[in-house]
Amino acid sequence: MDFQDYYKILSVAPDADSKTIKTAYRKLARKYHPDVSEHHEAEEKFKQIAEAYEVLKDPKKRAQYDELREHGGQGYRQEQTQGTSGQHYSQSSSDHGDFSDFFSSIFGGAYQPEEGAGAHGFSQQGFSSQRAARKGQDIETDMPIFLEDTLATSSKPISYSLPHRDAQGQVSQVNKTLNVKIPAGVAEGERIRLKGQGGQGLGDAPSGDLYLRIRLVPHPLFDVEAHNLILTVPLAPWEAALGTSLEAPTLSGKIKITIPANSQSGQRLRIKGKGLVRKQGHGDFYAVLKVVMPGSVSEESKQHWQQLADAAAFDPRMEWRQ
Amino acid sequence: MDLSAQYFSLEEICYATQNPSQTIIEIVNQGIVEPEGAGPETWLFNTQMISVTKRACRLHRDLEIDWSGIALAISLIEELDQLRDENQRLRKRLERFLDQ
Repeated sequence: MDFQDYYKILSVAPDADSKTIKTAYRKLARKYHPDVSEHHEAEEKFKQIAEAYEVLKDPKKRAQYDELREHGGQGYRQEQTQGTSGQHYSQSSSDHGDFSDFFSSIFGGAYQPEEGAGAHGFSQQGFSSQRAARKGQDIETDMPIFLEDTLATSSKPISYSLPHRDAQGQVSQVNKTLNVKIPAGVAEGERIRLKGQGGQGLGDAPSGDLYLRIRLVPHPLFDVEAHNLILTVPLAPWEAALGTSLEAPTLSGKIKITIPANSQSGQRLRIKGKGLVRKQGHGDFYAVLKVVMPGSVSEESKQHWQQLADAAAFDPRMEWRQ
Repeated sequence: MDLSAQYFSLEEICYATQNPSQTIIEIVNQGIVEPEGAGPETWLFNTQMISVTKRACRLHRDLEIDWSGIALAISLIEELDQLRDENQRLRKRLERFLDQ
């Protein structure tokens, strides 16, 4: 088991006063809190910071820790392998219920967040009976969904890992797979709660819940804007000039689109009701026109372009001349 | 898997987020979440609001910020998330438009 240098983690001197420790914690917490930070190791870093603060803010725990530290942390490995002490964190929220083995070895078994000590105070306010029997950990995880799968209610498997406590109280991560009914019309970022599918509770308390966050998988052809579907439609210059009729793909079969004469690049054509499924009705389908030039121009084509240039008397940079 | 009961009363959100009702009422009073219904007895929260409430409580506990500060932080975080998503979407569309 690795020795954790809590002073180093909070970047404070070993003789720092409690005010300095508090300030250092708050500063680092703002930087690495998983709800705020985009840092890829935010969750692990924050757990270390919270654990260090938990010990150093409490004079009793700090004294106990300092004594151990003075004796060179005997019995612990000294390498500073921060965050890789064999801990596995779930994708869960930072209900820091899983401090390191090092913490448990000094301050005893399963740590329970002292929410009562903060402003939550639920120990005095009706949840006291659940402190010994604590509801299991909630798990939050992303659920990737293909656009095609949002059109109708479908059943999808989701795999996630969650902490499992065996009869001896040892906690390990186990994998779990569930089939989840995804309702038609789900949108990006929407959350689905599956009651009782999170971590197991302590004592007789019920399990935590599983929260799935819908993530729409980027589509090779379509973009999404609310419940509207956007397709970029490449057009030859003469198609934009003369107009045309074409077949375009949608998520459910093809549709016919009429391109009017004199269309511009970037122009949007709306086809009502052909977008994504909503809880009620459908979004719209937008064809965004993109005029593209042929890759190579033959000598004959060049002559045609030249004739056009001579005849069109068109100045696309008129605005610059004022 | 049954997805029924995706709306929650005050009592249910207290249990789901492990908070006393005073905390939830404070969160609603700050406008961090806006349940349907006229008062605490008839409030209905959705799953999204549970997630926001959980996030607000984590920030309140871990960053030691008061509730009005949390309200500001949450609205800024939400705005940032929205802008990031929008930026990503527009970038993707721009790429489609520029690349052959």
